[in-house]
Formats: sequence, structure tokens, C-alpha cells
Amino acid sequence: MPRMDKEFVEALARRAGLDKALVEFPDDVAAAAEQAAGVMAKIKAPADPRAEPWPAMRAGDGL
Amino acid sequence: MNVDRETRQGRLHYMTVTDAAHAIATKALSPVELMQAHLARIETLDPTLNAFIRRDGDAALAAAKVAEAEATAGRLRGPLHGIPVGIKDIIDVAGLPTTCHSKILDGNMATADAVCVAKLRAAGAIVVGKLSTHEFAIGGPSFDLPWPPARNPWNPDHHPGGSSSGSGSGVAAGLFPMALGTDTGGSVRNPASCCGIVGLKPTYGLVSRRGVFPLSFTLDHVGPMTRTVADNALMLEAIAGHDPLDPGSAAVPAGHYRAALDRGAKGLRIGFVRHFHETDMPAEPEVTAALEHVMRALQMLGADVRDIRLPSLVEFAAVNRVILQSEAWAIHGEWLRTRPGDYGSLARRRLLPGAFLGAGDYVTANKRRAEMIAAVNAALAEVDVLLCASSMDPACRIDRPADVERTYPRQARTPFNVTGHPALAMMSGLSSGGLPLSVQFVARNFDEAMLFRVARAWEKASGVDGKRPPIG
Repeated sequence: MPRMDKEFVEALARRAGLDKALVEFPDDVAAAAEQAAGVMAKIKAPADPRAEPWPAMRAGDGL
Repeated sequence: MNVDRETRQGRLHYMTVTDAAHAIATKALSPVELMQAHLARIETLDPTLNAFIRRDGDAALAAAKVAEAEATAGRLRGPLHGIPVGIKDIIDVAGLPTTCHSKILDGNMATADAVCVAKLRAAGAIVVGKLSTHEFAIGGPSFDLPWPPARNPWNPDHHPGGSSSGSGSGVAAGLFPMALGTDTGGSVRNPASCCGIVGLKPTYGLVSRRGVFPLSFTLDHVGPMTRTVADNALMLEAIAGHDPLDPGSAAVPAGHYRAALDRGAKGLRIGFVRHFHETDMPAEPEVTAALEHVMRALQMLGADVRDIRLPSLVEFAAVNRVILQSEAWAIHGEWLRTRPGDYGSLARRRLLPGAFLGAGDYVTANKRRAEMIAAVNAALAEVDVLLCASSMDPACRIDRPADVERTYPRQARTPFNVTGHPALAMMSGLSSGGLPLSVQFVARNFDEAMLFRVARAWEKASGVDGKRPPIG
């Protein structure tokens, strides 16, 4: 899992509005940032750039 | 119908839903007597098990008296007339708080029943109370919340699974014969596995989510939890069906899920997904041995079993996590910004990663999800049902956070939240330590009847529905 720079994590957390959590639970915020950084490495992104995400947009099916 | 035997043994609390409903319909059993037996059981055992956040015994007994008068007059509301049911406390019950086991929502009064609760009531069921969960169906087992975590009736020192913890614990212990749970990454099937009962995650969209506090919009499912396969099918018949006001609801009618129950396994084509528990996340030897035993038993019954490969369990789990945490951030972001200290530690730590996932991560996970759905559909074009592990370990001790953290992700349930296919977990045997082991079956979308057929074949061959926890 890649290590994340502390200042970068703090900048991301502030951008997400987590100033209070940064003060009160800095370890939780840092662990969350590391976890998010690591999880994408486990996913094989489809090679075809045209691959559609699930679910497809369907006009007229909404509420 | 076992009412005489169960009554003589003073064990009305262990009657099945099917037997109790039949006994009430034929006036062989009073709904009041049935309710009193369960309320007495709750009074005795709940101080140990903590299955309830809020009991509603007086209202339940009053409803049982009305049900009795109706039954005496020959008026049955439906197939669950007079049957007690417990409701996970992220699901709304009119007039009771929906706390999600969290300080954040303490005192949050529900003004209407969730659709699944309304359907149960319309079928005649009686709500006995709101049940313990992991905080917001994700953070647990936790000791830093306003209510204690539920415990496992097979050994109260052990975790009952989650997040539908009170549902699993209470059904297994005979506090109520059926319960509602929810399943976003396995939260019906985990407590079913840990507590030795039957837990179904139906096809995505088969059961309405309206009135259920969301964790992840595209992964959330409501599911029935019971002690037998037949009871599970009966309960599903009551709660399934299209809800035009639930955006994820499928436009399919409820089916007759008991239709194929006793057709046996002869001629079924079963795909055994061994790599989940053999190489992706190697299971405890007892878990592996029990899965092999289930496979051989179904072969003996005439099923054709072959190995099937799906994408790696590790990757399924990662896709589930990215989608879940992204969607959960959209729900919890404001509270995490303003009230982070009002969450328990585990919920806070499991929800915060959503703040650090980007839009591209979410879309990429959903692109891979489309491929995973296609892979499972392709497998189920070759076979009628998949057989695989549910949990890779028996339930660990509840008071050892490191063990909880290690075993919590060691499971094969997330794939079918990602793909939406129906999946059922049930007991495969008992560990040397006397704790339930589990197996999981998976079927084609909306083919829950097939799932119940194979599960019933295993249940009948093994007698797992007759095993009871050594409590009271």
C-alpha cells in the first residue's frame, strides 16, 4: 500500500471538509487516506476505454 | 406440525414459522400463547445476548390478543398471522425510533413503517422490537456506542456476525422465529453463518428498500433470516414485490418461492467456486472440510458438481469497498464533517475512506462491476447454482479487536452484492469448538426458488435445521 505524504493527506481532508476530524481523530483520517489509496490497486480497470460503468443510463426509467 | 411435541417440551419458542402459522390457522395454537413464550424467552436471555435495542413487548402482546380474536373468528390476515418478528434497527417501524445503533440518530422517531415491515404486518406478523446492528450497518462489534453489541447464542463470548447481529442472535436463540436484516457486503449472510441459521440476500431490487436507512444505494438489500429454509421462503413471499417508489425496485412480482422446495438435488448442475476459499482467501481447515462435505452430500443426492472460476475474491472485495465507501460518504459526509466524535470508532474508520476516493475511482469500480456481473451470469449459464464459502472462519471472540479485524474481511459474500445475484448462507456443520460453520449458494437473478431447492436438499440431508445453541 503506498504511503501518503502527511501534508497531502491533510490538504485532501480539508478539501473534503474534515477539519474537525483532523483535529480530533488524526490517526483515523490518516488511516482512511491510506486505505483509499491502496484499494484501487486491487482492481483491474477494464482495458477498453469505451467500457460502460454499471448501470447504464436509461432515459425514462426514473421517478 | 409439531405443536404438541414442542408444547410438551415447553419449547414453543423453537417452533418454525411454518408450523406455528399452520397451528394458528387450524386453531391448535393461540397467538397469545406463542407470543408469551417468546416474550418470556426474551426476558430470560436478552440480558446476555443484547439482541434488542428496544423491545416492544406490551404492544406485541396487545397485537397477539387481536390476532387471537381474529383467528378465533376465522379471519386470518395472511400466511404469517400471529408470528413474532424482529426488525433490524436501520429499518423503520412506525412509532419506534430508528437509531441505526448510533448516537447520531438517538431518538429518531419513525413515522411510518418501511415497506418490508408493512408487508410483514399485512401478512399477519407482529413486531416484537428493534434489533442490534453494527452502527449504521458498518461499524461493529463496538463497545463505544449507546447500546452494547449483540452476542452469539452458541457462545456469548463470541461475535454473532454482523451487521444484522441482533437478527442472527435472536433467531438462533429462539427469541423470535424470523427477523429482517439488511445486506450490503454480507450483513444478512454473516450473522446467518455465525449463528447457524438461514439468511438470504435476495436479488437486488426484489425487496423494497423504502424506509430502510441506506448504507450504499446500489449494494443494499433487505433479506429474511429464519431457522429453516422453508420459513425463509415463506417470509420472502411476504416481503418481495415491486415498489414503484423505490428507484432500485425491480418490476417483477413476488414469486411462489416454496414451489420447488422438496424437489431435491437430483439432476441439478452445481458450480463449486473452490478458488474463493482455497487460494484467494484460504479458509480454516474445518470450513474447507465442511464445504467438501456439503458438495459430496449433494453429489450423493444426484447433483452434477463441477468446478467454476470467477474473478478473484480479493478484487470483488475491493470493488465492493470502493462503491460502498463512495456511496456511504455521500450519505455520511456531513455528519463526519460536523460530528465525527458522535460515531463509534469502528464506524468512523470504515466510513472516512470515502472522503479520499475520487469520482474516477467510483466509475472505474462500476466499470469492473459490469464485467463481474457478466462473469457470474456466464457461470450461471453453465450451471443452475453456485456453491461457495460464506465465512472463512468460525465466529471469533467478540472481545478481541485484532481477531475481529482479521476475520471480518475473510468472507465470500461481497461478490453477490456487487453483482446483485441472490445468495443464501446456512449452516454446513459445527466446528470442534461448537460454533457454526457455513456454506453459501448463489442462483440466477430472481431464481430464489432454485436457491431454496438446493438449500432444502442440503438441510434435509444434514439435519442442520435441528441443531440448537446450548443456551437456555
